[in-house]
Amino acid sequence: MFFFTVRRIIASVFVLIASSFLVFALCAASFDPLSRYYTQNPRPPEAFFENLRQELGLDDNFFIRYWNWLTGALTGDFGQTVNGTPVAEQLPGRLMVTGRMIVLAILIAVLLAVIVGVVGAVRQYKPSDYATTFLVYLLIALPTFWFAAILKEFVAGGVNDLFGRQVLYTIGEETPGIALYATDSEIFIDRLGHLVLPTISLALLSFAAWSRFQRSAMLDVLGSDYMRLARAKGLTYRRTVVKHGLRNALIPLTTVVALGIGTLFGGAIITEQVFVWHGMGEYLIVNGIGNNDINVVLGWLLISAVFVVVFNLIADVLYAVLDPRIRLA
Amino acid sequence: MTTTQAQASAALPAEPGAPGGAPVEREFTVQARSQRQQIIRRFTRGPVGMSGLVVFLVMLAFGFLGPLVYRTDYATQDSGAQSVAPGVQGYPLGSDAIGRDLLAGLMTGVQRSLFIVLLFVVIALPLGLLVGALAGYFGRWVDSVLMRFVDLVLTVPLLVVLIVVASNFPGSRTPLGVGVILGLFGWLDLARIVRSQFLSLREKEYVEAAHALGASNSRIIFKHLIPNALGSLIVWTTLAAATAIILEASLTYLGFGVNDPNATSLGRLVSDGVQATSTRPWLFYFPGITLVIIVLAINLIGDGIRDAFDPSNRRVRS
Repeated sequence: MFFFTVRRIIASVFVLIASSFLVFALCAASFDPLSRYYTQNPRPPEAFFENLRQELGLDDNFFIRYWNWLTGALTGDFGQTVNGTPVAEQLPGRLMVTGRMIVLAILIAVLLAVIVGVVGAVRQYKPSDYATTFLVYLLIALPTFWFAAILKEFVAGGVNDLFGRQVLYTIGEETPGIALYATDSEIFIDRLGHLVLPTISLALLSFAAWSRFQRSAMLDVLGSDYMRLARAKGLTYRRTVVKHGLRNALIPLTTVVALGIGTLFGGAIITEQVFVWHGMGEYLIVNGIGNNDINVVLGWLLISAVFVVVFNLIADVLYAVLDPRIRLA
Repeated sequence: MTTTQAQASAALPAEPGAPGGAPVEREFTVQARSQRQQIIRRFTRGPVGMSGLVVFLVMLAFGFLGPLVYRTDYATQDSGAQSVAPGVQGYPLGSDAIGRDLLAGLMTGVQRSLFIVLLFVVIALPLGLLVGALAGYFGRWVDSVLMRFVDLVLTVPLLVVLIVVASNFPGSRTPLGVGVILGLFGWLDLARIVRSQFLSLREKEYVEAAHALGASNSRIIFKHLIPNALGSLIVWTTLAAATAIILEASLTYLGFGVNDPNATSLGRLVSDGVQATSTRPWLFYFPGITLVIIVLAINLIGDGIRDAFDPSNRRVRS
């Protein structure tokens, strides 16, 4: 077990390095940080471009550029944006903003998925099962931004009318500038009001697929022999379901969730865009790709790849810890 | 979801000899059915898959036969009828900000979106099948090289790969371009599925028998292994088609999809409509509902096919 984990960690490092190389190649071929000067009128003199290329190291060999970036990234220096500010300065704050939403959304989604999945399996082919199944299929079919727009329209509008003042906010992660004048508790309330809608949107959409998964895992377990044995021994139905069934049915879900967390960044891009959050997704789309900024895109992708790889690792290890039948060779 | 395809269907060859010859006296026997007949029978008798299929066919008819009945061109702009509500001035579902007919737009959008899906499947299915088959059948270094590559690309969220690639090609803001990009990067999970299927299938006795008879690798792959992995291929295709429609809509919403001034698709209509949620609700609801219905229908078909290929997880166990 220990050796397996160590070996996987070492392998993950290599995967990360290879992945960053791939992404670097893709970005170097895609983005030209000078592109915004080309269309400037009057066009800057050629010497200006030469100078800038020299300064940014664009004339160097591709591998040298990659090496420079990699050594920088390893020491925590992700280079500078096209506007001259360090990328590393922006990343932690934005990670916190996105993290607030993702962590809460995952907690809600997992809780809902387990409850809905288990109830659906235990009460299979009952009206409640059909109702939740239909709802879940509907959620799977919904595009994120359309669903978010509906939430903004109905939930935000309805709740704010109910309270007679703005409780839920549809734009931003906090009221701009509130950190300058408000007390801690006021900031907390304000952030909570901003947090509700994006979290609901993200949570419901990720919960949908997970609950289907939990339902089929629970159905598998409910049909197994040891459940019948537990009943035959005289345990109550509730106890067999909770102690013997649920515990085993949770194993497949943990891996799926762990894998899902890594990729949630992809889904969070759209959610952030809809709710105008200044998080990681906005950083990638607006500051990175919008500005043709290689360093921003690379920094973003490295962070997101670290999440994917780490959670892949966690999924593998958790699977082995939870299910002793799995042997790690 | 696509990975839960079980092995039950794989245990039997897809097409044992169909019953032929003279009609048999049947008093105590049942009519013999081939594997394929059984699967089709299970599908047509499953309410989930059939309702999905019916809804999907209705949407197909709406998109492709509708324009024959409702002869208004979406491209026609009418400056005298901008943003009219449904039912006003002869616009059944209203019009948009530059006076284009929304009903005609929906028909064209359905066509374009299905074209994107078709393009996506035509490109991604052979690619994923090829990579997965090579990796799963030959194993060893072929497997390592191909699968490590797939792992690497999968460390980056698919949406981000699509955005970065699409931002490279400003000329790809059409249904054709989006379909090609989706296809070129949408095969990675299929490759994994096919590989895992092949890994178990290649150990079967009939593969050994085919080897012993002197069958070539390509014959074994195409005549024996792929037909046996057909179930998961079809299921993947349907579920991925549904995902492709949503991905196209998301890409378009972020500005990297079908954003050409003259291009249109269902995703384009939906993401344009999001700007007008409360001011012109018909532009928001009708395209969104159309898209949801199509995706829902395709997902239901996929589930129906999955159940038809693998009845084991529907069996009621006490």
